Amino acid sequence: MAVVELSGVHKIYGTGPDPVAALDGVDLRIDAGEYVAITGTSGSGKSTLMHIVGCLDTPTSGSVMIAGEDISSARTDRLARLRNRSIGFVFQSFNLLPRLDVQKNIELPLVYSGVTARDRRNRAREAAEKVNLTTRLTHRPSELSGGQCQRVAIARALVNDPALILADEPTGNLDSTNGAEVLRLFDELHASGRTIVLVTHDPAVAARAGRRVELRDGRVIRDGRT
Amino acid sequence: MSWFAGLLIGLQEIREHKFRSFLTMLGVILGVASLLAMFGLTAGIASSWRTTMQQMGGLERIGVIDAEVSLELADLAALSPGRTLADAEALRASSRFISHVSPEMQTGATLSATDGATITGRITGAWPDNLVVSQHEVQSGRFITPLDVERGSRVVVLGSTAARDLWPSEPEADRVGRTITINGRPFTVAGILVHYQREEDRQRNLRRGSTSPGSQRGGSVSLAGGRGMGGARRDPFQWKNNSIIVPLTTFYHEFRSGTEDAAPLAMAKIDQLNFRVRDLSHFREALDEASSVLRQAHRGIDDYGFDTREDWFDRMETSLRATQLSGGLIAGVSLLVGGIGIANIMLASIAQRVRELGVRLAVGARRRDIFLQILAESTVIGVLGGFLGLGAGVLLLKLLGAIAPMDNPPVVELSAILISVGFATVVGVLSGLYPAWRASNLDPISALRYE
Ligand SMILES: Nc1ncnc2c1ncn2[C@@H]1O[C@H](COP(=O)(O)OP(=O)(O)OP(=O)(O)O)[C@@H](O)[C@H]1O
Ligand SMILES: [Mg+2]
Repeated sequence: MAVVELSGVHKIYGTGPDPVAALDGVDLRIDAGEYVAITGTSGSGKSTLMHIVGCLDTPTSGSVMIAGEDISSARTDRLARLRNRSIGFVFQSFNLLPRLDVQKNIELPLVYSGVTARDRRNRAREAAEKVNLTTRLTHRPSELSGGQCQRVAIARALVNDPALILADEPTGNLDSTNGAEVLRLFDELHASGRTIVLVTHDPAVAARAGRRVELRDGRVIRDGRT
Repeated sequence: MSWFAGLLIGLQEIREHKFRSFLTMLGVILGVASLLAMFGLTAGIASSWRTTMQQMGGLERIGVIDAEVSLELADLAALSPGRTLADAEALRASSRFISHVSPEMQTGATLSATDGATITGRITGAWPDNLVVSQHEVQSGRFITPLDVERGSRVVVLGSTAARDLWPSEPEADRVGRTITINGRPFTVAGILVHYQREEDRQRNLRRGSTSPGSQRGGSVSLAGGRGMGGARRDPFQWKNNSIIVPLTTFYHEFRSGTEDAAPLAMAKIDQLNFRVRDLSHFREALDEASSVLRQAHRGIDDYGFDTREDWFDRMETSLRATQLSGGLIAGVSLLVGGIGIANIMLASIAQRVRELGVRLAVGARRRDIFLQILAESTVIGVLGGFLGLGAGVLLLKLLGAIAPMDNPPVVELSAILISVGFATVVGVLSGLYPAWRASNLDPISALRYE
């Protein structure tokens, strides 16, 4: 079953004399339970692709199906709902809220899906357990190491039990030890049956995924098993 | 996300930035404080005026006064007997819209108590109806009765101050039944009237723990001490507390007949004639009724007029409204400034929090969630500012009272509190609308990229 299905996706930035085609006709299908690594040089369109798959952005043209739903013409509220329920996004720069503690940061998606405070607490704790962070729930992000921050972000991405987990260079801001720890988490998540799409520059990281998609100038130039 | 969750986020935001939030609220605080102070001051004036008015007989009391005879009747003016006791009898006989009639004769007199002091004062000859028309209340003993009037009994009813002045050494004693002389003639004290005072004076005196009318009055004087000569505070009830009332017939026989051109009692001139309207909804009818009765009694000569409290009441309301309007204007301007302040700070704080909003959008916040969050925050600021403003307003009133003691102490009514806080809330909501709209239109990607 396809969790993601892109066909003929274009993303053009700028309407002036020299528009940039960040994505230039991308076709891509990702099935449930796959672990896909997206690679490519800087500026090749990896982040743009992730944003569109993550419902943070919409394509200029082409069709995008997420969990069986066509989002290329969806309204902003619908996109917000998909981001909330179906997608967990992990950013390179963590994007935690500095003034909320770990617990509240993990709970954040649940706040917007109408979960009661007590359920939020319980589910956030479960998610924290999966990333081994139960001892840090009352700390603020500024009191955590980079690796711990990224684990909080992963817990936040997991907390609503989404169909798809997206990570844009999740280890980019981490040293190798912490990076390895984070990658090990993705392996575990994949092992437990989740669909994972991960952007990386690191061939070794790409090698851990079952499938590698390489972009150049907004096009898929390689797609195959590692 | 619910309003409530938005409120929590708003509160959190305010807790994180206490000082900034306080500065933001300052305009609202000042606005609400001045609104409340304005309401308090005008309500104080209004309530004093109302009690004073009530004590003087209320709107229902109408006085018959002399009036200039119209030109065409000027030659015949002498035909009218003027304001006599017959007028009072005629008014009493026609009682459809008039419930009580009180004619009064007055003169200065010397009173002395054999076991007390000698004082001078104004004595009034009156009917029993005077009790209602002048809104008297008896503290002990009784008022003038119809029998007193019929018999011309030598009884007197004393106001609390007059009684105290007659027996200054025994403020607590019951003086009913004692004998005094008025202009040398013996009278028995039939009753003592209650000590009239404004509500706020009464409460102040209660707090001071004094109970007797005498010491109460002393308390109120000493409180005003240092303000002007003898510290005499304007007391609207002074004249009532100095009442010395005897039956009208007694008055006539003892102090009137023989002295002047001795008209018979029925034709005797009276100094004051007041009556009470039975029902305020028939005020006009009562005036018409009195007018036709008097026209007949005065043989068609229009040498009488009516003194109603209506004009007075209208003037009072107009001036109150003017005060409220100007106070409201000041408060309105500061609330407006406060609102602009909130909007401004909210815009600045959104600019600071673009990334946060981006993160919220990324994890699934809808536009309306962001909108609500910002609106809730500005509303919380408005409401909190409103409550702080209430406190500031009360302090302001206390301060005003301390520097310049007022004849009409301010009254803080519940409605004033609700209106003030309501305005602050509205200001909070309105000033949040534009920032909330701006914030809710952020695009998630550019918000996340924002540095
Ligand atoms: N908002 C934007 N406006 C204009 N051009 C943009 C915008 N976002 C991306 N681009 C352009 O689109 C192209 C693809 O950018 P993208 O961020 O997807 O690259 P990337 O593969 O993620 O690169 P990196 O590995 O450096 O993160 C780049 O040429 C970039 O300049
Ligand atoms: Mg990128």
